[in-house]
Amino acid sequence: MTIASLFPIPTLNDTPTDFDKLFALGNTVLADAGHVIFDFSECQFLRPNAIAFLGGIARLIESKGRTVRFDFNTAPDKVLTILRQNDFARCFGHPVFLGPGSSVPYREDRTDLNHQKDLKDDIINYLSNEWLGRGWVHVSDRLRNAIVGVVWEIYDNAFEHANSSIGLYSCGQHFPRLGILQLAVADFGIGIPDNVRHYWQNHGLTQILSSAQCLRWAFKEGASTKKQGTGRGLGLKLLKDFVNLNHGTLEIYSQDGYALICDRKERFHNNIKNSLKGTIVNITLHCDESYYCFVDELPVGPLF
Amino acid sequence: MFKLKIADIVGEHCVTSEDGQKVYDEIVPRLRSNEEVCLDFDGVSVFASPFFNFAVGQLLKNFSPDKLNELLSVDNLTSDGTSVWKRVVQNAKEYYQNPRVKEAFDTTIEKEAEEE
Repeated sequence: MTIASLFPIPTLNDTPTDFDKLFALGNTVLADAGHVIFDFSECQFLRPNAIAFLGGIARLIESKGRTVRFDFNTAPDKVLTILRQNDFARCFGHPVFLGPGSSVPYREDRTDLNHQKDLKDDIINYLSNEWLGRGWVHVSDRLRNAIVGVVWEIYDNAFEHANSSIGLYSCGQHFPRLGILQLAVADFGIGIPDNVRHYWQNHGLTQILSSAQCLRWAFKEGASTKKQGTGRGLGLKLLKDFVNLNHGTLEIYSQDGYALICDRKERFHNNIKNSLKGTIVNITLHCDESYYCFVDELPVGPLF
Repeated sequence: MFKLKIADIVGEHCVTSEDGQKVYDEIVPRLRSNEEVCLDFDGVSVFASPFFNFAVGQLLKNFSPDKLNELLSVDNLTSDGTSVWKRVVQNAKEYYQNPRVKEAFDTTIEKEAEEE
């Protein structure tokens, strides 16, 4: 008989220290061979990044033939409310969905774009209606569509590059008192640094690149590890430009690399103690419409 | 002129490289035959760069900008769509049309490697 081990979930916010705790928990659980029970007794709060990650870790463990149980009876009211509002609790066996409140639903996309015809539309509608369209951010339809198009780049990068066998995990939250809206997207596939390393090794580069160097390169205009197409990617650069223009924050944790785009500054680090197998993208937007504007429109002229 | 209604083959969200490839495959034989093509984006609301990378960015590998301006036109492309289109085309033009830019870009990573 396989023994079940109890793993306490700490309070998890979204500072680098919180992410480090999250990855340490994930690595500990993955290293264990038995069944898993997550306990919320020590947890006072969970941000969307933690919820998306925990959902993904649970599915990753299940994919290895082990069982996972979240013991919702141990969760303080505030934590249980969040988990029932965003539907995470129901996805893991708790019977009652509370209604969304200020939560953006937890979702699992366990396939890729080629295998589910409606997935693209489903995710776009999620971003448009469940995340941006709840009246928390007062933007025009035009601006909402533009934001959705840019944030889609997060999903496209994950579908295109991560090759995550267990899919993608998303969760969001509106924080009315802080006036911010967050979205976290986690995958457990090939991280951005390894993708960049493999690409450049195949192109004859012999030096070993650090994860920070790889992330810095991935944000450059034209960087892409795609095998076909134009050979030049724009996704992360467009995301960065959008976040800078609208005073948001973009964080990427991928393997042992960390990228922070905030206040028109970029920081890239290697110094995460506990690395992640995969990537989490965490984007924070202001709810105050005065922060928003369009990218300068290019002059009318020839198409090419 | 051949008019391609994008929403009919892609739907209202032009965001994936797979959908971009569908458009590319539809128009490239016509452009090779010097046929004029108009892409009609009526009914499309959301645009992202992977779509345009594959639909039009890769045209610049085999066609000159002048030739594409002569043969390819658009209808009902929103200002957001135009903005993404132009970023993608500018990016692809630099890569395909200017070998020195391509060379400089390809060596960027080597500089990255030397920095640490």
